[in-house]
Amino acid sequence: MVEDKIICIGCPLGCRTTLRIGDRGEVVKVLGYKCKQGRQYVLEEYRNPVRIFTTTVLTENSSQPLVPVRTDRPLMKTKLREATLALVRVKVKPPVRVGEVILPNLLNSGVDVVATDDLFE
Amino acid sequence: MKLSDIDVAVIGSGPAGMAAAIRAKEEGAEHVLILERQEQLGGLLHQCVHNGFGLFYFEQDLTGPEYGHRFAEKVKDLGIQVLLETMVTQISPDRQITAVNNREGILRLKPKSIVLAMGCRERSRGQLNVPGTRPAGIFTAGTAQRFVNVEGWIPGKKVVILGSGDIGMIMARRLTLEGAEVRAVAEILPYIGGLTRNEVQCLHDFHIPLLLEHTVTEIHGQQRLEAVTIAKVNKDKKPINGTEQMIECDTLLLSVGLIPENELSRMAGVETDPLTGGPVVDQWRETNVSGIFAGGNVVHVHDLVDDVSWEAEISGAWAARFARKEEMGKEKRIILKPGRNIRYIVPQTISAQHDVTLYARVKDMEENVTLKGGDIFAKSLRVVKPGEMLKIDLSHSQLRQLKDDAVELSIEGEKRRQNG
Amino acid sequence: MAQMETEVLIIGGGVLGAAVARELSRYKGDVILVEKEVDFGWGSTKTNMCIVCQGGDTLEFRSEYHRSKLVWDSMPLMEPLCQELDVPFKKVGELALIRNNEELAKFQKLKSRAEKIGIKTHEFIDQETLRRMEPHVTREGIGALYDPNIAIVDPVRLTIGLIENAGQNGVKVMRETEVVRISQDANQFKVETNRGSVKCRFIVNAAGTSVDKIARLVNSDDFVLYPIRGYVGILDKNLGGLIKHEIHMRPDAPGQTNILTPSVHGNLFFGTTMQPALRGDCSTTGRIAEIGLQNVRKIIPDLSEKEIIHSFAGFLMFRNWEVGWHECVVQASQKVPRFISICIGYPGVSAAPAAAREVTELLRQEGLKLETDERFSPFRKAPPVFNELPEEQQKELIAKDSRYGHVVCRCETVSEGEIVEAIRHGATTLDGIKFRTRAGMGRCQGGFCTPRVVKILARELGLSEEKITKKGRESRLLLYKSKDLLEAQI
Repeated sequence: MVEDKIICIGCPLGCRTTLRIGDRGEVVKVLGYKCKQGRQYVLEEYRNPVRIFTTTVLTENSSQPLVPVRTDRPLMKTKLREATLALVRVKVKPPVRVGEVILPNLLNSGVDVVATDDLFE
Repeated sequence: MKLSDIDVAVIGSGPAGMAAAIRAKEEGAEHVLILERQEQLGGLLHQCVHNGFGLFYFEQDLTGPEYGHRFAEKVKDLGIQVLLETMVTQISPDRQITAVNNREGILRLKPKSIVLAMGCRERSRGQLNVPGTRPAGIFTAGTAQRFVNVEGWIPGKKVVILGSGDIGMIMARRLTLEGAEVRAVAEILPYIGGLTRNEVQCLHDFHIPLLLEHTVTEIHGQQRLEAVTIAKVNKDKKPINGTEQMIECDTLLLSVGLIPENELSRMAGVETDPLTGGPVVDQWRETNVSGIFAGGNVVHVHDLVDDVSWEAEISGAWAARFARKEEMGKEKRIILKPGRNIRYIVPQTISAQHDVTLYARVKDMEENVTLKGGDIFAKSLRVVKPGEMLKIDLSHSQLRQLKDDAVELSIEGEKRRQNG
Repeated sequence: MAQMETEVLIIGGGVLGAAVARELSRYKGDVILVEKEVDFGWGSTKTNMCIVCQGGDTLEFRSEYHRSKLVWDSMPLMEPLCQELDVPFKKVGELALIRNNEELAKFQKLKSRAEKIGIKTHEFIDQETLRRMEPHVTREGIGALYDPNIAIVDPVRLTIGLIENAGQNGVKVMRETEVVRISQDANQFKVETNRGSVKCRFIVNAAGTSVDKIARLVNSDDFVLYPIRGYVGILDKNLGGLIKHEIHMRPDAPGQTNILTPSVHGNLFFGTTMQPALRGDCSTTGRIAEIGLQNVRKIIPDLSEKEIIHSFAGFLMFRNWEVGWHECVVQASQKVPRFISICIGYPGVSAAPAAAREVTELLRQEGLKLETDERFSPFRKAPPVFNELPEEQQKELIAKDSRYGHVVCRCETVSEGEIVEAIRHGATTLDGIKFRTRAGMGRCQGGFCTPRVVKILARELGLSEEKITKKGRESRLLLYKSKDLLEAQI
């Protein structure tokens, strides 16, 4: 029997839950939650922990050396490090508008990286 | 460019200033002017590259710049006048504004009404009085954020963060994603200062050690930071002898509190509330100085940018009405009194005749409590924390039940968590 | 490496070295001043409490104390000097609070002794008058002793003013130059520094906390100095109007002074708690900070620790710690000719004008020819301080250089123009900008302006931002460029 500990972020209580995982990786039991939405959240977080990834990317404009970016949809939490490294050598050419895709299909995940601020000439 | 016959002058163009200006225009103010000290609209939003903005206001999960962009577009569409790179240096009690920029030089403006939306600043090391040397490498989290997210510099690669407010936790993640090693986040209280969401997505996700009930007791290094000493604290927040440990680092980030920017407010004769650090306001966000309104973090430090904008809209709307010389509808005043375990309440005074939303913060974390508003309001809450602001809606029919001119907001609880 | 030659070499660019440089620049002859830090006044000078001619001096004046005489002789010189150098000087007056009859008796004795030697500036005032003069000061006590002559200055600005005026008048000034070795023959010294060697006939050793170390380099250690560390706290400008005078109370414990004073920039300074410490260790401790606050609360009750915006510790060098505070070093060496040492632990700033004259006289006695230089000009114009100018002049400045209209430091209202000017005058570091313009000294302590000041420094000096330091040497602010750390991990 394996255990996973997940903090629910649904409300300020921040319940510390424990999930008991069976041999086939299925959730056998959830302990420590105080509401059903919390239980739902931790199950989802266990099965499919995803995050919107935000960072900055280098530009070719020396007076605006960075442009902030995000993934347009959440990525698997485990992919964050890879995602970071994948963007290190990207250099964005101005001008760029908010929402413009600067790198499509990041890590073949089907998720695009878009600019979240304007990049001027 | 016309700088006369200004109906509403808004100082600051962050999520508060832009929201206030837009709302003022929508309320019918003809000439609305925004004065912004930076090179673009948006205030600090540009450096907040993370998401979590607008979850309630736009019902979308946006980053800081995206949130700001929406408002900036509206400012342009509505034809609101904007003066960028313009620093307001003085406001007089009769609403005269002196500002400086490198195009018009010195500006003297006399708007019909003013909205203060300057936001807040960070507490510094000097105010914390951390003992030790004065090396380079110590930054407040917000200043570090500017360097990392806008200027393109990473202050160092071995980082310790003092304070677990949201900005500290956000920077812990940010620096980790930029290749630095965040060796610890030290928090003097037994619980984090910011949102649980950030504890999970900034600290746990990256296995960054969170040391609760700890503080930095000494700084080492002559030229550049070399290490900090961290110690556990007792319930009076005093370091416990023998628990000291030295952590090697080249960067210390301070996330130890935000204080409303009240320089200009004080110059204008605006009365400030020592409990918030910001102006005393009524539910229309007017200060004690007629025609000077305030909204957003300059009044009290919010958790969510959505609330900042909503609150600022109130100030913008009523500043517009004031400019029109409209009847403000201020009748009998009720004073809000912070009672047991309440640190502050905004607004500090309200009218008995209108619905109102109160904002409050508690001093200490407690579970299974009742939030009471005199005899007119009671609500059970599972938990209250200083890092999570309370919002209380009171209707005018509830308020009319009041017998006195004051209502005390208090927390009545059963289980009390020991604080540091 | 450079090989230089000069008549007089001054070692140390604090207030004393600078004052000597300025004094010597009245005369013909080559003078070089070397300073080990990247800017001037960064040793004991900058950690001074800015008070000139403290009452304690005039009250405890004893003509047999060298220090007393120097302070007394300096008193009429300071204001004209500050005017010539265009640096702040403000006469605030001083109130020494008298808590009980015992203290009153002590003060009466001191006052009559002072009067016997001609010092008649003090008067006793009662509680009622005290309350009118200072409504926020403690109600306890029976009155105060008032001296209207006490003034406040900005010691670093004064030092920079002295250095610049000396420079205008021909003194060669070198920063980041540290003396490593001194050799000598019958006629001259050869001083080795990290930037080359200097041959000189005379040396003025004004090296502050290193005065004895430098003296040892020529085997002239005929004095012993003890480093004493004092703690000073700065209170928010909001409290600036709380008191008008410099106020102090007799210390309740040895090694403590209890002073609360306005500064020329509108803050309040309080301190000091002195203790022997390792030379150069300017770290502050929690306990010391607490004591300082406890003490000043005796002057102004209800002072909140929230109003402290900054604090620092600095060194004073004392002669006889056991005997007391009364002696200093202003002397020609007994062992080595043409070698003058000067170190006035307390009060160095107050004694500087007369001390510089005395050093000049000592040099003359050692053989330096003093021929007045007709071209000497005592006047030096300080760079403009934007927020102190009347509006008309502010407009003129902006019209001449639009950078004066770009305010960079919000808390102290410092413009880009002033920062650029400070860089032109020699600032190359964040602290240099801070001490010369006050950017970063306000209540946010540089939170907002630091990234902007760094940018301006980089631009004006033609350097990459990562080369910019806080205070010179290895105190770089920004260690890595964005993505470089990640690059190394790919």
